Amino acid sequence: MRRRFPWLRHAVLVLVSLLMLIPFYWVLKTSVANENIYAYPPRLLPAEPHLFNFVDVWYLIPFPRYMLNSIIVSALAVAGNVVFNAMAGYALTKHFPGRRWIMALYLSCMLIPFQATIIPAYLVTGRLGLLNSYLGLALPLLSTIVCIFIYKAAFEAVPKSLIDAARIDGVGEWRIVWRILMPLSKPAIASNVILSFIWSWNAFLWPLLIVRDTQMQTLPLGLARFLSYLEDTTGALYAFAVMVLVPSIVVFLMAQKEFIRGLTSGATKG
Amino acid sequence: MTRPAWLLSRWTIVPGTTLLLVAGWALYAETHNDGIIAGIVVDGRGRAVPGATVLLLERGFVTHEERGRTRTDAEGRFRFASNNSHSVQLEAEAEGLGRSERRIVRLWFRAQNTELAEPLRFKEARP
Repeated sequence: MRRRFPWLRHAVLVLVSLLMLIPFYWVLKTSVANENIYAYPPRLLPAEPHLFNFVDVWYLIPFPRYMLNSIIVSALAVAGNVVFNAMAGYALTKHFPGRRWIMALYLSCMLIPFQATIIPAYLVTGRLGLLNSYLGLALPLLSTIVCIFIYKAAFEAVPKSLIDAARIDGVGEWRIVWRILMPLSKPAIASNVILSFIWSWNAFLWPLLIVRDTQMQTLPLGLARFLSYLEDTTGALYAFAVMVLVPSIVVFLMAQKEFIRGLTSGATKG
Repeated sequence: MTRPAWLLSRWTIVPGTTLLLVAGWALYAETHNDGIIAGIVVDGRGRAVPGATVLLLERGFVTHEERGRTRTDAEGRFRFASNNSHSVQLEAEAEGLGRSERRIVRLWFRAQNTELAEPLRFKEARP
């Protein structure tokens, strides 16, 4: 059936997209101006825009140190998710006694908020001697259930005959995952990278609990610290928010094609 | 000769370009950070003011604190070579002329060498 008024549909989509982008625009606009955000009527365009708020952020707090900490923690979380979730996802494609129970356990664990398990997580991290360390910061994010299921769906989409052929050729389980399944599951890898990066990059509560040294703080903690220093400098605060946001937006834009494919794989059959 | 696929991947191009830009900026900053701030002081009629005292105030968290002072030469020129901040203010004082407007000087990096585009100006004119 030929669709009527395709331009109308696109116009509505563009309008909705613009509405979604308004808060981001407002953050960006405020970051390049020293305006009072409560001023009425609000300005749509910044008056006398400049980029010096970003320079202030860079120097008034140890921004490079916070950024380095966030990059290290996110890199650990991404590496952990890509490796451990692939192993768990592959295990769940196998048929073994209790598989359904494990799946049900995973799904039920997704219902429990992290705040409810944060005290046991803290105690475990403390017993491991990882408080105030990069590994301790990344520990709860090294594997996430949602990402395990993304891998599982991607691995199940690979024809079984391909794996059987590899097995006949004498390829072990380990090499089947890394040499056959992983190269065929790039969208799932991209989804894992994006989700784990964004979650670890934006994590606030966990770093707040286990970091004791200001030199180990990550960007979200730095943002809170910055807020306590400069209550009246809205422009610099928003500039900080932009600087925290930009890396995750860049990672998302780089991997968005595979990310969307990874999330929708398994949504349709055939 | 074919280029390897990873070289043209956006996962190589974007971080590589970012690293190059950052390295270029860091190199520029490193070679232009002697802490020099220079300019000229004029009176209300635009004539140079020799012997005026120029104050360098550095931005703190709450207020601006004095970090240095110098005197203008016969042509009304002044020069600081010890600035270590990215946001300073300059103010001139001279006998009979009072104080000039306080000029905010914002820099792109700490201790950036800069020359004021506009002179520090007193409201009053010398007799």
